Amino acid sequence: MEKISFVLASDELEKLHAGALMASVAAVSQMDVSVFVTMNAVTAFRKETIEKKSFKVSGEIGRRLLEKNKQMFYDLLVQGKMIGSLKVYACAMALELMEEDLNHYHPVFDETLGVAGFLGKVAGGQVLFI
Amino acid sequence: MSETNVKIDEIVDGRGLFCPGPLMELIKTIQLKPVGTVMSVLSTDEGSAKDIPAWIQKVGQEYIKTEKKDGYWEVIVKKIK
Repeated sequence: MEKISFVLASDELEKLHAGALMASVAAVSQMDVSVFVTMNAVTAFRKETIEKKSFKVSGEIGRRLLEKNKQMFYDLLVQGKMIGSLKVYACAMALELMEEDLNHYHPVFDETLGVAGFLGKVAGGQVLFI
Repeated sequence: MSETNVKIDEIVDGRGLFCPGPLMELIKTIQLKPVGTVMSVLSTDEGSAKDIPAWIQKVGQEYIKTEKKDGYWEVIVKKIK
């Protein structure tokens, strides 16, 4: 199966949405997809952030995404997981810096992973950094 | 299959959904239906009307046609595997 991976490193809603959209469509298009959520992107997956919808919006598209109550990035990832082959990993280092475990985050995550572990999983496929 | 004689077995109404909503609705339906089912996907999203044929080609199902209707698109696909 063709393999593709996405690194979500930004907490900007627009970037998270674009990455999740591509990952979910790749997963339903018979591709094996891995998503690694790292750096500030992890904060957008915190249960508290999602509950308050306190996402970092950088422009018009982000504002409209929220206004129109569109499917959010974490919903897109869940959909990709339900229909296709998609795994979502939280960066262990970022969670350590946040002093939190996965219980504080949206249940879309499969597990926490270090960079070496992620690179092992994505070897041989394309990696897109967003 | 002749384009002028397509019998639709299932309508997937994705009108009002944003991309990739109509595609996702098609995928949910195609998984449940038997081989040979002809589905008509309705979409008000123009991007989906272009995406769905690309997806059909990628996964090896049969794309029959796309028609522009009054305010929406109709994409017809047949499940062949």
